[in-house]
Amino acid sequence: MAIADPAAVTMNLPRRDARDKLLGRTRFTVDRKLPRMLHAAILRSEAASARIVKIDVTRAKQMPGVRAIALAEDAPGMHGIGIADHPLFASDVIRFYGEQIAAVAADTYEQAQAALRAIEVELEPLPAVLTMAEALAPGARLIHPGWKNYEVLFEGGARGGNVAWEATVIRGDIDAAFARDDVVVVESCFRVGRQNHVSLEPRAVIATYEDGRYHIETSTQVPWTVRNQTAKLLGVPASQVHVTVPPVGGAFGQKFDCTLEPYAAILARKAGLPVRLVYSRQEEMLTCLCRENAEIKMRSAVTREGDIVGREAVVLMDCGAYGGEQIFLTTMTAHTLMGNYKLGSVKAATRAVYTNTAPNGAFRACNGVYNTFALERHTDEICEAIGMDPLEFRRRNVLGDGDLGATGQVFEGDVLGPMLDRMAAMREKSPPKKDLADDRLYGRATVVGTWFVFVGPSAATINLNADGSATLITAGVEIGQGTMVQALPQIVAHELGIHPDDVIVRNADTDAAGFDLGVGGGRTTVSVGAASKAAAAVVRQKILETASELLQTRPEGLVLRNGRVELAGVEGSGMTIAKVVQRAHQVTGPVVGSGSFTNPGVAAMPGCAAGHFIDAIDIPVFNVHDCEVAVDPETGHVEILSYKVVQDVGRALNPRAIHGQIQGGVTQGIGYALHEEHTIGEDGCIRQNSLETYRVPLALDTLAIEIDLYEGAPSIGPLGVKGAGEVPVMNPPAAIACAVANATACRIQQTPLTPPRVLGYLLGREPAVELPHIADNWWDNVLMKRPS
Amino acid sequence: MADSVADATAALTDDGCVPLAGGTWIMRASIRGEAQSRRYVGIGRIPELNTIDVKDGEIRLGACVTHARLVESFAGLAQWNGLAAAAGAAANPAVREMATVGGNLSTQDFFAADLPPALLSLDAAVELVRPGGTERLSVGRYLDVRRTLEPGALMTSIVLPRRPMRTGHARLPLRKAGDYPVAIVSMAAVLSSDGRVDVIRIAVGSVEPAAGRWTELEEKLLGRPLDPDTAHEMAEATADTFTGRDSVEAPGWYRVKVLPALVRRATQAVLSSR
Amino acid sequence: MPTSLMINGERRTSNRDPMTPLIDVLRDEFLLTGAKSVCREGVCGACTVHLDGRLAVSCLVPIGTVEGKDVRTVESLAMAGELSPLQQVMEQHDVVQCGMCFPGILMTLTSFFQAQPNAGRDEIKAALVGNICRCTGYERLVDAAVTLTKRS
Repeated sequence: MAIADPAAVTMNLPRRDARDKLLGRTRFTVDRKLPRMLHAAILRSEAASARIVKIDVTRAKQMPGVRAIALAEDAPGMHGIGIADHPLFASDVIRFYGEQIAAVAADTYEQAQAALRAIEVELEPLPAVLTMAEALAPGARLIHPGWKNYEVLFEGGARGGNVAWEATVIRGDIDAAFARDDVVVVESCFRVGRQNHVSLEPRAVIATYEDGRYHIETSTQVPWTVRNQTAKLLGVPASQVHVTVPPVGGAFGQKFDCTLEPYAAILARKAGLPVRLVYSRQEEMLTCLCRENAEIKMRSAVTREGDIVGREAVVLMDCGAYGGEQIFLTTMTAHTLMGNYKLGSVKAATRAVYTNTAPNGAFRACNGVYNTFALERHTDEICEAIGMDPLEFRRRNVLGDGDLGATGQVFEGDVLGPMLDRMAAMREKSPPKKDLADDRLYGRATVVGTWFVFVGPSAATINLNADGSATLITAGVEIGQGTMVQALPQIVAHELGIHPDDVIVRNADTDAAGFDLGVGGGRTTVSVGAASKAAAAVVRQKILETASELLQTRPEGLVLRNGRVELAGVEGSGMTIAKVVQRAHQVTGPVVGSGSFTNPGVAAMPGCAAGHFIDAIDIPVFNVHDCEVAVDPETGHVEILSYKVVQDVGRALNPRAIHGQIQGGVTQGIGYALHEEHTIGEDGCIRQNSLETYRVPLALDTLAIEIDLYEGAPSIGPLGVKGAGEVPVMNPPAAIACAVANATACRIQQTPLTPPRVLGYLLGREPAVELPHIADNWWDNVLMKRPS
Repeated sequence: MADSVADATAALTDDGCVPLAGGTWIMRASIRGEAQSRRYVGIGRIPELNTIDVKDGEIRLGACVTHARLVESFAGLAQWNGLAAAAGAAANPAVREMATVGGNLSTQDFFAADLPPALLSLDAAVELVRPGGTERLSVGRYLDVRRTLEPGALMTSIVLPRRPMRTGHARLPLRKAGDYPVAIVSMAAVLSSDGRVDVIRIAVGSVEPAAGRWTELEEKLLGRPLDPDTAHEMAEATADTFTGRDSVEAPGWYRVKVLPALVRRATQAVLSSR
Repeated sequence: MPTSLMINGERRTSNRDPMTPLIDVLRDEFLLTGAKSVCREGVCGACTVHLDGRLAVSCLVPIGTVEGKDVRTVESLAMAGELSPLQQVMEQHDVVQCGMCFPGILMTLTSFFQAQPNAGRDEIKAALVGNICRCTGYERLVDAAVTLTKRS
C-alpha cells in the first residue's frame, strides 16, 4: 500500500509566519490601508434601557469629511444563534449600554467621531434589568416583549419571558435517587463573572463595494458566518458578500461571530469608497462578547461508598441583551457540569437569560470553564461530606469505557482514569513546593475536566502544481494557534509524500473555499484537517494512477515519498511528483482534489435532552490539572507554586506547538481564576474600561507549566488527532479554587479569587452565594412541563 | 516646547495652559473621559529641570527627572532605599523611562502614585517658581495646594534633605507587579545605637485620595525598638484612622486592612537598608 | 508646526498636531505598522519603541516633544537583512503565536539586554511587566531569551 510512514507526521515544524511577525512585517487587518479609504465610528447608547424618541442626523451629514451615515433602516434583517433576536442597530428601544445607534464614515477617524457627536438622539429612559435575579423575578420587565415573533433558526429550546433559551436533560429516576435512605445530599452554589478575551488586535474590518458585491476583509474566526450574517442583516443574497481574512491578531472566541463587518459594508456601499472600522480598546472592553457571568445551583445524592446516584442542577447564563452564543452554549452544561463522572441519574436545566447588559459570546472552552470550576468544587464538597479522599473519589467515578454520559451517550475507552494515574506519576516525580509557601497558607488540588471538539462541516480543495507543490484552499484562519501553518500542511504533506514546506496554505477566502463552520471549538485540526486529508487522498489517487501508467506498475506497488513516486521498497526509484503532474496536464488535465467533512454523529439516549444543539459529543477531550498554591493570610494574594497538566491530545502532530497552547491557555485560565472580571455598574455600563482596571496576567503572574501529553485516546480526527488549543484554559479556575479552598478551609463559591475577595473569605466578610432566585424544587425553575 | 523656566512660566500665565513633562498622565485623558486642555507647554527639555544636584546637606532633583533616572542614581544607597524602591517598582519599565518626579507629585487625580508617600517620609520639599518669585514648600503642603496654584506657577525641583536615615517602601499591587498599588506604606527612620526609634516618618499612599503621614503610628513607635511585629501590632491599633477609598480595583476596607502587613514589610525594608 | 526627527536612521518630518501620539505618526503617516496600537495607555507595551536609546511607549509620546530625537522601531532590528540574535532565538524556539505583542516585546528585551546582558530568568520576567501577551503565557519566550544570555 502506498502510505508513508505515519510516524513521520509528528515533528516540530517551524511556523512559516514567525519570521515576518518578528520583523513587524505581518499585516494584520489593523495594518491595512486602501486608497481613499474612509474611517468609520459608531454612535453608542449611553443608557442601558430606553425608548428612542428621535434620531436626527441632519447636522451630522453636513459635518466636514462625512461621506455616509448608516442607521437601522439600512439593515432590515435580524441575526442570532437559534433565534434571530438581534438587529444591527437599535431602532425603537435601547437594550444595553453601548448599543449601536448609528455609524458614520468620514475622511478621518476624528471627523467621523465629530459627526457622531452631532447626531441628535433623544431617549426616554426605561427601567433597566441588570441582573439575572431581576430578570427572572415575577413581573420583571420584558427585555424582548416581542420574543414570540422572532424567527426561530433552530427548533427545540423552551423560551419565554426573559428566558431566551432553555435546554434540559433528564436521565433516570432522580426523585428515587434523592429519596434513598443511604445517600448524603450535598448542595452547592456558585457565581462567576465575565471574562474579556483581550485580543491584542481588536475587532477590525475594511469593506469595499465593487461590481455589485461587498468585499469584507476582516479579523474573524468565521469567514462564512460573516458572509451569511452580513447578507441576512443587509437583506441581500449571501452570494453578494465576499469575505477574506488576513492574519488575525488574537481571537480566543471573540471573533467567532459576525459583529462589526455589516456596519462597514453598509457604509462602503453608501459612500462608494473603502471603509475601515476598528473598535477602540474602550469599545472592546465595553462591548466585548465576553465569557458570560453565570450562577449555578447543584445538588448530588451520593452514597457513603462514593457512588453518585443522582445529580441535579440549574445553570443561569447571562446572555446580555441578545441571545447570541449563549443560546448554543446551554447545550454544553450536560457535557461539562454533568460530565467527568458516572451519574446514576441526571436532571439539569440551563437557561440563557436576557438582561439589559452588553451581549456575551464565545470564549475558549466557553461555559466549560466555569462549569468545571463548579463541578470540581462541588466534588470536593461531596468528598468532605462523605469523608472520602478527593483523588480516590475521582479515580472511582471518572467516566471510563462503556460508561454513560449525562445524555446517555456511551463513552469509548478508558481515558480519564489512566490520565489520573499519569498525573499521580508526575506528582511523585517532583517534590511538593510547600516550603516555598513560607508562613503563608498552603493548598493543593488535582481536578479533572471534559470538553469536546466542535466538529461539523468543513471543505478543502488541493491543487497539485506542476512544480510538485500543493496549494491547500480552505476557509480556515490563522489566529495564532498555528494550525494553518503547522498541522494542516503536515497532514497534507503526509498524505502526498511531500515536505510540509511545499504545501501552500491559502488565506481564507469565501470566493475560493467551500463552506466552513470556522476556527473554534478545537475544530480546525480535526474538521479542516479531515477535509484536507480527504482532498489529499483524491489527489494522491490521481497521482498514483498517472504514475502507474508512466512507470508501468500497478498503483498498489507505488509509494509517495520525498516528493517522488517510488516503487515500494526501492528508494530513489520512479520519478518526481512534479513530473507526474506535468504528464497529467497532457493526459487528464491539472491535478485537483476536494474533500469534505462533517460530524459523524454519536448517539445519545432518545428523549434525554431537550433544546440541545448537540445531544452527544463526537470527540470528548479530557484534562487533568494539578496545582499548589500559597495564600497570604494578610493580603489575600494567591501565588501558584506549581502547575501540572496531563492533556488528552489524541495524537500530537506538533508537540512543541501544543506545549505553547497549554502554556498560553493555562495562563488565561489563571487570569480568570485570580484577576480578570468585568462587573456592571448601576448605569448598566461595564466598569473596567481599560487594561489598567481589567487585569490580565503579566509575565510575573504565571509560571512554567509542567506538561504530559496523553496520546492514544480514541478520536475520529485525522491521524487520531484532537483539538489541543482550546482545552488548556478549562481547568485552572477549578484547580486553583480547589487548592485555595484547601489552603484556607473557606467555602470558595466564586471566581475570580482576587486579593480583596480572598481576604474577604478569610475574614468571614465575603457573603455566601445563596441564589434564592433558583428555587429548591427543580421543576419550579423551568419552562418545560413536568410529565404527568 | 519651552527652552527655559522663564519661557515655561511665561506660557503658563495663560490660564488653561498646562505643563507637559513625561506625558504619561496627560496622554491618557481621553480614556478617563476628560477633554485635553487647549494648550500645553512642554517642559521636558529645560536643562535645569533635568539635573540632579548633590550638595552637602541636600539633593536637588529637577522636576523632570524620570523614575528610571532616579533609580539609576539612587539604587544601592541605604538612605535612598525607599525612594529607589518607589521609583523602581512604579508602573512598568517603559513608563518609568518617561514619567517624571514632578509629574508624579503634581497629578492630583492619580491617587496611587508611589512617590508622594516616599517623599513625605523623607521630609522632602518642592521648589516652585511663582509670579512673585521662588518658593519652597514641604511636599505635604504642596499636595494640599497643588490644585489651586495660580497660573504661571511651575514646580522646578524636589529637595531631599540628606540625613542618616534608613528607609523602606512597601506597595501592594493586585498582581505581582505592573498595576497600581492599592496601598502603599513608606517609612524613614533614624535609629539610636540600641535600635530605638529616634526619628520616624511613615506615610501612606493610595488608601485615601491623597497621600499623607501616619502620625499616630509614628508617635507610638517613637522611642521603642523598631521591630516588624511591634510595628505591625501598633499599625493594627491605629489603622482605623484611615477611610479607604472605594474604586473599581479594590474596596476601601481592603486598602485599610492590608496596612499593618505593609507596615511590617516597610519596617523589614528599613531594618535591612544598610 | 512640523516636527523633524530621525526614524530608523532616516530623517522624517511629521505634519501632525504636536499632541498626536507618536504611535499614530509611525503607523498612519509613515506606514511603519510594526509597532501596534493596542491599549493606548502605556500598559500593554505593544507600541514600545526606543527614543534616544531608551524605552518608550509611543502611545504616550506627543510627537511635538520629539523634535530632533532618534526613534527606533521593530523594523530597525534587522536592518542589515539579518534577524537580530533576539529575533533568531524567538524564531528557533517556536514561541510566536498571533504575533501582535512581539514587536513591543522585542524592543523591550533588546533594550534590557543592552543594559543587563547577563540577566537571569526572574529579571527578564520583571523586565516584561509592561508587555501584555495574551497567547503564549510568556514562559516559552522567556526560555528563548534566557538562551541568549547564556550565549553571551
